[in-house]
Amino acid sequence: MKRWFFAGLVVTLAALALYPMQGTGYGVRTVLQLFMWIALAQSWNLISGLTGYVSFGHVAFFGMGAYTAGILVTKLGWPWLLACLAGGVMAMVLALVIGWPCFRLKGPYFAIAMLGLNEVLRVIVSYFEGLTGGGSGLSMPTLLHASVPIYYAMGLTALLVTGLTYIIITSRFGLRLMTIREDEVAAEAMGIDTFRYKLYAFLLSAAGPGIVGGLAARDQGYIEPMSVFPLITTITMIVMVLFGGKGTIWGPVLGAVLLFTFQEIVWARFIYLHQLFFGGIIVAVVLLMPRGILGVLQQKYNLPRTI
Amino acid sequence: MKTFLWRIAGAVAVAACLAPAPAEAQAPIKVGASLSLTGTYAQPGSYQKEGYELCADHLNAKGGLLGRKVEFVFYDDQSMPATGVRLYEKLITEDKVDAVMGPYSSPITEAVANVSEKYQKVMVSPLAATTSIFKKGRKYIFMVISPAEAYLEGLVDMAAKRGLKTIAVVNEDTLFTKASAVGVAEIAKKKGMQVVFQEAYPKGNTDFSALLTKLKAANPDVIAASTYFDDAVAITRQMKELNVSAKMYGVTVGGDLPKFYDLLKQNAEYVYGSTQWEGTLPYPGQKEFVDSYQKKFGHEPVYHSAAGYAGCVIYAEGVRRAGSLDSDKVRDQLLKLETRTFFGDYKVDPDGFQTAHKMVMFQWQDGKKVTVWPDDLASGKPRFPTPGWGQR
Repeated sequence: MKRWFFAGLVVTLAALALYPMQGTGYGVRTVLQLFMWIALAQSWNLISGLTGYVSFGHVAFFGMGAYTAGILVTKLGWPWLLACLAGGVMAMVLALVIGWPCFRLKGPYFAIAMLGLNEVLRVIVSYFEGLTGGGSGLSMPTLLHASVPIYYAMGLTALLVTGLTYIIITSRFGLRLMTIREDEVAAEAMGIDTFRYKLYAFLLSAAGPGIVGGLAARDQGYIEPMSVFPLITTITMIVMVLFGGKGTIWGPVLGAVLLFTFQEIVWARFIYLHQLFFGGIIVAVVLLMPRGILGVLQQKYNLPRTI
Repeated sequence: MKTFLWRIAGAVAVAACLAPAPAEAQAPIKVGASLSLTGTYAQPGSYQKEGYELCADHLNAKGGLLGRKVEFVFYDDQSMPATGVRLYEKLITEDKVDAVMGPYSSPITEAVANVSEKYQKVMVSPLAATTSIFKKGRKYIFMVISPAEAYLEGLVDMAAKRGLKTIAVVNEDTLFTKASAVGVAEIAKKKGMQVVFQEAYPKGNTDFSALLTKLKAANPDVIAASTYFDDAVAITRQMKELNVSAKMYGVTVGGDLPKFYDLLKQNAEYVYGSTQWEGTLPYPGQKEFVDSYQKKFGHEPVYHSAAGYAGCVIYAEGVRRAGSLDSDKVRDQLLKLETRTFFGDYKVDPDGFQTAHKMVMFQWQDGKKVTVWPDDLASGKPRFPTPGWGQR
């Protein structure tokens, strides 16, 4: 079983690595955006799926990365790859600033702070016009044939975040995070420094969105506050993770692939109904399978926790 | 019996395959466009789509383009630039459309233009009004409407002629509305007026009370609001609630939609709006356009529909003159083209930036839009000054 899975994984990765040679511009861009969603969903899973601290503002890190990269590319002429990595670093700095006070508290403070963070960042970006272009947005120098390199960078990020999740979930670090999720007081009683572990998980979960935010910005060539800080991006991340199975390794990947594919292939044909479908899925998942697809499978077939 | 039926079916199939193709069976010209059919820009985006559809109908009724039928392929970009970018990739690389037409709104056009440039596709963008999009050295993008900066020129011009001295400018903080606000402030200064208040609000804002209270304290003669539809309605409504009034009050986009009056009723009276086009303007072919639009869609066209239609007509004219769908040939023709359609004048500079088209200002009078500016196109006189809220 395990061997088959491993073989399948290698074949899939090889196929994805070779795809840009065959695919059309649209195909490459679509898979590129799928990678983006995998990285985003997986990152949200790292903090919210593992510790149970729900982040309603994860798109803030995406936007932070997008603007960091955008500004570095436009104003300072940095190469985009470096600028995107800087986006990841800045997202982690932001996570430190928010996480430091919030994780000293238990309960819903974190969720509320994250919800606000996103709005605050959008206002800040709109305000500092000289640097960010404000509401007019930031238009990067035209880069017409960068889809393929961005495809690989995005794919690699998705892979690294998933690999990171694997390492964490199969390690003592992951166990501690899950202990916090199940019962934080008990975790503390066992001697786990909950503040430190929550903060570590949060920092790791911010890096991915920061990097893909930068990559997405470069790919699109134009960013504005509305398009990089939309609440819907956070909601989509959350739904993807819940759909696939939160707190698992492959759940977020599965959720992202299924929902994104649905959206692209099925819902595109129902212009006026697709949002309704999306809402319907949220309701159905919460009511019928609160642990997601993998959660249901785990229960039914007695699969290992580290799936 | 069963075999017999099969045989007949087979014979019919063979006959169908052997029959000579009808003469007009040349493949249709596929034109792709992704528009905002859901999300923030759903309303104007849908009007634009109707303009494209009607244009295709009319081209086909006259025998198509280059002897081929014209067919549109539409997608919904959900008012998101990222989705728009992906969909134009799809149109060009998967659906292999012969031509593309622009999306709705400046932000989405700004993002999408990178795709059309990459594949060297001419893109006539009938609803992008932001100057910067066309001034980045792009080769294949063409502008149809007047730039954002000119939207409220008429309001300021009328105000200055009537000796008004002070103006307040508010705007939604996005690409188009901001450019338009900057433009109106500059024109006002040039005409010797004083900008006593200027502030932006974020997109999606619904509570304007703080903004309007500050504005009221500045007591301007003129209020210029650079808006889209939802905020135009909300600001007007809250101006009444807070009793904020000025001798003239004008909005940019949204004020011209029939729904603006439907929602606000008599509170929309005296409000000035700017528009790229009105169905009553004395341009050639106007009546035909308005009548056939009304007949097909059961409601009156607004300027988004007209601009969409006009953009499509202008592109078709370029193709006709080039005698080909080849992007570079069509581009040469579109750069040279000078024409007056029912939508007004068209002429672009070497960047594809519109230089001939004129904005008009209207005022809501007894539930009707009356064109009041510029003088040579006006159909009535402005009701001036605007009385207090109690007397409307």
